[in-house]
Amino acid sequence: MAVSLQHYMVLATILFTCGVIGVMFRRNLLMVLMSIELMLNAANLVFIAASRNVNGLDGQVMVFIVMTVAACEAAVGLAMVIALFRKYGTIRTDFLRVLRG
Amino acid sequence: MGLELNEFTINLIAFVVKFAIMMLIVLHVAPLMVWFERRAPAMMQRRKGPNRVGIGPFRLFGLFQSLADAIKLIFKEEVVPDGANKFFYHAAPVFALFPALLVATAIPYGPDITIMGYRVPLSITNVDVGFLFIFAVASIAVYGIALAGWACNNKYSLLGSLRASAQMVSYEIPLGMSLIPAVLVYQTLDLNQIVMAQERGLWGVFTMPVSFLIFLICMFAETNRAPFDLAEGESELVAGFHTEYNSFKFSQFFLAEYTSMFTLSCLASTVFFGGWSIPFISNAQIAELLANPFIPGQYIAAAIGFGALLLKAAFFMWLYVWVRWTLPRFRYDQLMSLGWKFMLPIALANVVITAGVLVMMRHQIGS
Amino acid sequence: MFALALFYSIAALLVFCAVMVVSRRNPISSAIYLVISLFLVACLYATLGADFAAAIQVLVYAGAIMVLFLFVIMLLNLDPEHLRGPEMHGGEIVVLLLTIGGFLGIVIAMATAAPTLPSGIFTLDAIEKVGGNTLVVGMKLLVNYIWAFEMASFLILLAIVASIVIAKKPKAEVPSTTERGH
Repeated sequence: MAVSLQHYMVLATILFTCGVIGVMFRRNLLMVLMSIELMLNAANLVFIAASRNVNGLDGQVMVFIVMTVAACEAAVGLAMVIALFRKYGTIRTDFLRVLRG
Repeated sequence: MGLELNEFTINLIAFVVKFAIMMLIVLHVAPLMVWFERRAPAMMQRRKGPNRVGIGPFRLFGLFQSLADAIKLIFKEEVVPDGANKFFYHAAPVFALFPALLVATAIPYGPDITIMGYRVPLSITNVDVGFLFIFAVASIAVYGIALAGWACNNKYSLLGSLRASAQMVSYEIPLGMSLIPAVLVYQTLDLNQIVMAQERGLWGVFTMPVSFLIFLICMFAETNRAPFDLAEGESELVAGFHTEYNSFKFSQFFLAEYTSMFTLSCLASTVFFGGWSIPFISNAQIAELLANPFIPGQYIAAAIGFGALLLKAAFFMWLYVWVRWTLPRFRYDQLMSLGWKFMLPIALANVVITAGVLVMMRHQIGS
Repeated sequence: MFALALFYSIAALLVFCAVMVVSRRNPISSAIYLVISLFLVACLYATLGADFAAAIQVLVYAGAIMVLFLFVIMLLNLDPEHLRGPEMHGGEIVVLLLTIGGFLGIVIAMATAAPTLPSGIFTLDAIEKVGGNTLVVGMKLLVNYIWAFEMASFLILLAIVASIVIAKKPKAEVPSTTERGH
């Protein structure tokens, strides 16, 4: 039995679940950002595994673009973490509630 | 027994032999460099270096000093600082050493040899994306330094390690960019193909001189050596990120530094100085000249190629020591502005100009 | 057979590291586990024949983005109230169970479906003949997806400018030395 697409999708779903649980239940903003990176990697894994089945290498090109976007998002997110810490002294998501209605 | 000599078995045996030889050589570079690092400046400064340690009546120009140092470092007591994070304190030297050794596996140490009809390349891992693999792995070395400084619970270590890791990350970019023209000129990412292309044509240093200069300077900065060693400068932050490391862990950092010096020297000689090839003679001609009934000519040619590569790498190692003991240290802000405001634009312009020249040349040849 | 064993071992390690990322108290431990996970994902890409993607994953993700994370964590010097593990208040356990249940359902649905095996003309041998994975992916990127490529580079420029502006220290009033008559 060779490694099929189902194997990779199950693995990616497990990774994505870990990421979602991290975003929901961690109160540290840096941990939330790291869980988002985990989710993005799960999606990338599905892209590359699926590009083997579809008649083309578009999946690998998409992964390149997704990695670029993830890098930009991490950079801007971390800059915001630094700015928030400087202003409010905390990066706990419970205490950052200025925009709350 | 079910052992047939097919391609897989031959490659497996060759892998084990290559790995053993390469590990022997790479792990012995560090003690040799320790000795050389003290004798060469002594020569330059008109004094004698260490020359007392000897076994019996043999002093061997002070080579046994390295042995004495190694024995001392192994048997010294390890003092772990009080509030240190135990796991990362012990894990950081591994993060520093692992990439240095892994990069050494991707470099072609000699020409391809044919054993029983199967082609055996003389690099331990034969990756098609040779360059990318080397840079990808070398970028992990930053973690060793960052974790080492943080895990020690010491302000000066943390500062030193953050400075060193920022420096390494900044100079990784021009280092990689200076090798993009090599990919453009030789049309391949595989290091073995690049050496064979240089064997047929000109050495890389003549076709891409600016790349070589940028690579040389960034090579010094990547290994935290020579004029860029502010982070471990002896008179600055005590010993920087490895202040709290003693005995065996300190020797692991040392080993990591000298190993990455050696592998970057090998990389420089592979891309710019022809690697294992000797100018004006091709590998096939050497094999023919030295053909004898006892050992097939190609093995002797491979050994000569290996020796040529080691000679070129030795030249770069000597250059490292020479530059270290000649030039004064950069200040940190000078270092960072050199990396970002000077090296990076020149590397970018180099890529653009090389690409433009190549397009024009190929247009002339093609049409 | 060997491919399947390799996949299962990498996958087991990967799931372990992902769970560690989410559950550690110390952000630096989580970051290091995330680096290891990214490295393992790159190994998976390599087994799928996507050499270029694997190398770029280690270079960009594990080698640059996570270093940035590590820098920020070390520089922020968080106090113990930030160093708590996952926190669940009251009714949130229901949300956790629903999430796990939902994804478990997806996993079971996929695992019991008929396996799809690789097909198509882009087999590994065909790609090797043309010049390697990097060449083919590069051609596709720069010929078919050139717009996405240029937009991505513009996005990087925007991100650089944005992060510098956001993270800059606000200009404080510094008494100039010239006022004292030096």
